[in-house]
Amino acid sequence: MYISRLFNSLNVSMQAQYMTELLELNEKTKEYGLVLTPRDVELMMAARNEVLHSYGRVELSIEVTKALIEVFSASSFIQQENYVDTLNELHEIFYDLKNETEDRISDMKLLHRMKDMFEEDCEGSLGLLKSRLEEYAEEFRRELQKNESLFEGENDYWDLKI
Amino acid sequence: MGSENLNKRRELTVQGGIRKSRLQRNQYTISLMNEGLRAGLLTSREMMRIQNAFMQILQELIKKYTRGESTSVTTETAESLLTSIMYAADAHLFSFEEPEKAIVYLKTVDVRQIYERGVEKVSQCLEETKQLYKQITANKLEVPVDAYNMTIDESLPVFLRKYGIIFDAHNTMASIDYPLAVDDMRLQGVFYMKQYLEQLKLETEFCAMFDQRELLDLLAHYGRECRFNYRIELFNIYELVLNNAIFSVLSGGDADQIRISESQYQRLEQQFMSLTEPQIRSVISGAMGKLQQELPIHTRLKEYMDGCMEDLVQRVTNAAKHGSLRAVIITEREAGVKSIVLFFNEEDRMSDVELRRRLDEIMACERKEDKVKLILTSFHSFHDFLDMLESECLFGDEYTALFHAFGDMELAILAKTVFYEELRSESLDLPSILLLENEYKMDWQMQFVRCLQSMSRERLQGVEKYMDEIDYEQMKFY
Repeated sequence: MYISRLFNSLNVSMQAQYMTELLELNEKTKEYGLVLTPRDVELMMAARNEVLHSYGRVELSIEVTKALIEVFSASSFIQQENYVDTLNELHEIFYDLKNETEDRISDMKLLHRMKDMFEEDCEGSLGLLKSRLEEYAEEFRRELQKNESLFEGENDYWDLKI
Repeated sequence: MGSENLNKRRELTVQGGIRKSRLQRNQYTISLMNEGLRAGLLTSREMMRIQNAFMQILQELIKKYTRGESTSVTTETAESLLTSIMYAADAHLFSFEEPEKAIVYLKTVDVRQIYERGVEKVSQCLEETKQLYKQITANKLEVPVDAYNMTIDESLPVFLRKYGIIFDAHNTMASIDYPLAVDDMRLQGVFYMKQYLEQLKLETEFCAMFDQRELLDLLAHYGRECRFNYRIELFNIYELVLNNAIFSVLSGGDADQIRISESQYQRLEQQFMSLTEPQIRSVISGAMGKLQQELPIHTRLKEYMDGCMEDLVQRVTNAAKHGSLRAVIITEREAGVKSIVLFFNEEDRMSDVELRRRLDEIMACERKEDKVKLILTSFHSFHDFLDMLESECLFGDEYTALFHAFGDMELAILAKTVFYEELRSESLDLPSILLLENEYKMDWQMQFVRCLQSMSRERLQGVEKYMDEIDYEQMKFY
C-alpha cells in the first residue's frame, strides 16, 4: 500500500519522540499499578501498525494510543500482567469500530463509549465489549441510513449526533 | 558491470532529457517527477523531499477533513485526499510551457506554495466554468433530446454546487450523459467540466445558426432512419447538423441549410460511390471551407469543426463502401404519407387519485371478462394504460384475455414499446423478434410476448403492418 508506506516513512522520524511521550505516561498510570517498558512500547506500536494496515487505515499521530492509555488505565479490570495485551486488543477494537461507524464519530466520543461499556455492561470482558460494540455500530449505521434518506444530498460529515 | 559503464549510462539518460510523451496530463506532477528522475534532472533525495512535503500537506488536509475530530482515516480517504492535492499541483505545474521549467520550479520552490497556487487555479477554473454554464443555459437549444436537456438542467448544476476544490478536486462526480463530438476524457474534475462546457458552447453556437424547424425535422428524420426514439437516445446533435450542412453544400444547397431532399441524396450517393477516400476528403474539406466562409464562424469554432472532419471522411468512406450512406446522410422523409397519426396527449391522463381508484376497481373485479371490460371502457390514455400494466393489477391469463381483446393497432403500439431495443438494433420482423425469446423485466411484457407467440401468422402480419406505420415521434414512454 503506497500511501501507508509513505506515512510510515514519515513516522520513522517521529519514533523516538513517540517513545518518549508514551513512556512519560507511566508517571500518570503508575498510581494504578500500570507501567510500560520501552520494549512494551515497541511491541505495542508494531502491533498497532499491523492493525492499521489490516483495517486499511492511515494514522497521523499517537493521540489515540495516548488516550487509550490514559482513559483505560483507571479501570480496575486492567492489571499489569494483561496491560500490554489489553492495549493491543483495545487498539484493534477501536480502529475496527472507526471503520464500522464509517468515520462518523469522533475519536474521543468513541473512546469514552468504549470505556463506559467496558466498565459497566462488560465488566472488563474484551470479548463482550467487541460484541456490544458490534451491536452499537449496527444501530449507528441504521440511524445513519435513516438520516441520510431524510436529508438526501446534505451529508454534513461530522455533525451527526446519535 | 564496471563503474565506467554505469557512468556512461547515466550520461546517456541525462542527454535524453524529458520525454514529453511520457508525461501524463492526469498525473502530471507524478509523471513529471518520474521523468525528471529518469532524465537525471531530479535526484532521488530531491524526489524524497518533494514526496515528504506532499505528505505533510496530506497530514494537514486529513486534520481539516476530520475537523480535528479524528486522527486517522481509511486508506481510501487518504488516497483520495492525496489525489485531490496532486490535482491542484498538476494544475499549477501544467501551466509551465516547458516541463523542464516545471521541474526546476519543483526543485526550488516550496511545495506548499505550488499546492496553494494550484488550489487558486482550480478555484479560478470553477468560477470560469460557472460563467460558461450561465452562457450555455441562456443559449440552450430548444430540442426534445433528454440527454441534452438533463445534462444542462440537472447534472451540471449538481456538479457546480457540489464540487469540492480542496477535498475532491479530482472528482468529476456528475452524470454527464450528453456526448460531445470531441471530448477529452483524460481530463478530470473541474478542468474536464470546463472543457466539456467550452465545447458544448461551440456546438450550441453552431447549431443555433440553423433554422429551428429544420433542426427539429432533422432530428425526426434521424430517429426514423435509425428506427429509434431520438428523444431518449444518446447522440450528438452538432455532428448531425454539421454533417448535413456539409452535405447540403455538396449537393447544391445553401450553407445554412440542413435539409437534404431525396434528389439531393441521390446526387450525393452517386458522387460518393465514385470517389476514393482522398477524393472524399478533398470534397468534404472544400465544403467545410465554404461553410466556414459563408456562416459567421469564429476561429475557435473553425478549429473545432476542422477537428470533426476526419471522422466524417471515415464515416462517408465506409458507408460508401458498404452501401449504407443513408445512415450518414440524413435525408428528408415524408412522415405524413404513410404514418398513422396517433394522439398521445399528456392532458388526457387521469389524476393519480383517479388512477388509483380505477386500479382498485379492477382488482376488486372477480371475473377476468369484467376486468377486461372495465379496462377497455375506462382507460383512454396510452400513459395511463402503461401505468395500469406496470401496476401489476392483473395476473396470468387475465393478461391474455386483455391482449386478445385488443385490435391490431393497440397491439402494434405495445409491440413498439416492448420491442424497442430489438427494433432499434436490427431490422428484424415481428416473428423473428418473437423467436428470440428475450427476457423482459416486467411481468406484463413477458405475458404480452407469450400472447403474441400464440397468435396466427396472419394476425401478426396485421400487427406488423401497423408497427411499420407508427412513428416513435408520436410516442412517449414515460
